[in-house]
Amino acid sequence: MSETHTTLSLELKHLLIETLELEDIAPGDIDPDAPLFGEGLGLDSIDALELGLALQKRFGIKLDAEAEETRRHFANLNALQALVEARRAN
Amino acid sequence: MTFIPLDQAPWRRPLCKSTQSLIKPWATPTTLIERVDAWRRWLDGRPAGKWLLCQRQPEAFCAALVALWESGRIAVLPTDDRPETLARVIKEVDGTLPDTPEASQNPLPPPLAPSPAAVAVVIYTSGSTGDPVRLTKRFDQLDAELAAHAALWPLAGTAVISQVSHQHIYGLLVGILHPLCAGVPFCDDASRYPEALAARLEEAGRAGLKAVVVSSPAQLSRLPEHLPWTEQAAPCRVFSSGAPLSASDARHAECLLRAPVIEIYGSTETGGIAHRRQAHDNAWQPLPGVHLLLEDERMKVRSPFLEKPEAWWHQPDRVLPTANGFKLLGRADRLVKVAGKRVSLTHIEGLLVEAPEMVEARCVDLGRDDGRLGAIIAVHHDVMPHDHLTRRALIHRLRSRLAPHMEPVAIPRYWRCVDAMPSNNLGKLDRGLIKRLFADLDDNRMPRWLGEQRSGADICTLTLEVPERLIYLEGHFEEYPLVPGVVMVQWAIELARESFGLQGDFQGLERLKFQRPLQPGIRFTLELTRRGDGIAFAFESSEGRHCAGRVRLQSRDGTGAPHG
Repeated sequence: MSETHTTLSLELKHLLIETLELEDIAPGDIDPDAPLFGEGLGLDSIDALELGLALQKRFGIKLDAEAEETRRHFANLNALQALVEARRAN
Repeated sequence: MTFIPLDQAPWRRPLCKSTQSLIKPWATPTTLIERVDAWRRWLDGRPAGKWLLCQRQPEAFCAALVALWESGRIAVLPTDDRPETLARVIKEVDGTLPDTPEASQNPLPPPLAPSPAAVAVVIYTSGSTGDPVRLTKRFDQLDAELAAHAALWPLAGTAVISQVSHQHIYGLLVGILHPLCAGVPFCDDASRYPEALAARLEEAGRAGLKAVVVSSPAQLSRLPEHLPWTEQAAPCRVFSSGAPLSASDARHAECLLRAPVIEIYGSTETGGIAHRRQAHDNAWQPLPGVHLLLEDERMKVRSPFLEKPEAWWHQPDRVLPTANGFKLLGRADRLVKVAGKRVSLTHIEGLLVEAPEMVEARCVDLGRDDGRLGAIIAVHHDVMPHDHLTRRALIHRLRSRLAPHMEPVAIPRYWRCVDAMPSNNLGKLDRGLIKRLFADLDDNRMPRWLGEQRSGADICTLTLEVPERLIYLEGHFEEYPLVPGVVMVQWAIELARESFGLQGDFQGLERLKFQRPLQPGIRFTLELTRRGDGIAFAFESSEGRHCAGRVRLQSRDGTGAPHG
């Protein structure tokens, strides 16, 4: 794994924790393959809205109008990271 | 197109071509009737009575609903699709509709027109004890409310974009039934996302239709600014319901969407009660036909939308009458709204105390902008979490216990594990104590306070936790974060000032000993002893002693006595 890849992964973990106020979760607790929503990290529909806003603010990423697409990007940390790597504007 | 009430089967009106330009994900009267008939064939020969209907997609939902009505059946709408919710509702129905009807060769029976006095839907809401309350709505109740909407906010020439669930009364009436009666298109479930909302607005604009958005505070307070909210695609109206919208969110949404934001206040029992547009006035005005009696902060409602239109209904919200309407002061019982969903704190507490670990549980509305709930739990000593992993595991177990019973947003997000429920001198867990328990959420410099015990006038033992998000941990050691020694000393001084009311200025440190690193997530005690010239302190946890020492304090008048 490259260094920038690892740095981005940690940055995203911090982004999740800060944005969603996950006070019981430390970066090390977030398994990159575990689902973020439902089981796993236990995120919900409000978190999905907050996460969309945070991605725009931090990385300039604009999500698509296709809800299925959005859900796929938010499936787990790896998927989220792939989205940021492919689409980041800053 | 003109408004036709439900009891005249608006879905059977002659088709008009003007709405044909909108295709999937929009539902139009043309596409709807085929699906209704497929359901009617499927239902033919099956039991009459009440049928469970839980469908995410508005068009599929609407088709099944109309088919139930045209076959003389009643639709039973569970509030969500959680397994426990469905299991409970299934016991009360005569059948459950599958996701789609299997193709059937049954001849099509003639459609029945709904009768005004017949029950149209059964819906549920949370009662103050936490038990679900079952409510029925007749066609005349629904039609009365739809007529009020049609008079105030006619839908002719519009297309409706709903962001809220139709399994609840507001989403059902405003997002599905009103467009159905007005014969205008509505769209699919994905429009609850802001990106999809922007796309639907654009499509409606291109089709020459003005959009009406049916939304909620949860969504309107989180609208991204960067989306292409254009003048051409601006909706003509935005509805918000489920909870009051803050004045700033109302302003922001009006500005971004370039449309009036109209809030509707009501409840499952009463349907709509009042409306307001905060840009004009923050007082609520009753809906047409609704009569209100406001006395002693309480409200009584008489309305054609109620099950008994002639009787006064006691609405459990506290209100303040104003010159031109009223203001809402909050619920008078232990029900709160989280993301617009009614949640019973008593219900959550009841589920939590069933956990084997639990001694006592209190669930609280923290009044934070995010709307999330907090839980204060007293657990048995042997399962009291003492570090990050044990705390996380306990909270995970408790969350899993709640998950089958409620929607994810209703599950408390902030948990505080206490040795005993903190109480004031009246024996109550008051607002001040609740504020102190959750103070670290908004102040990332302090430890998490979980209670304190006095043994005499000069000794105080505080139970604390190191928050994982403590600001001082940042950049210390990524792999092995810990609380810097200087921070521990600072905590001892600040907390002693709070506990003993000490006023003195720092003079020096004595007998300082760091014995063990203090890591995030650790639960610890801080024993503070007031001394003649300052304080002594000791940080201890299940691992042993972390740090101890003495601080000399000089009183501000220079006399040496630090007592405040």
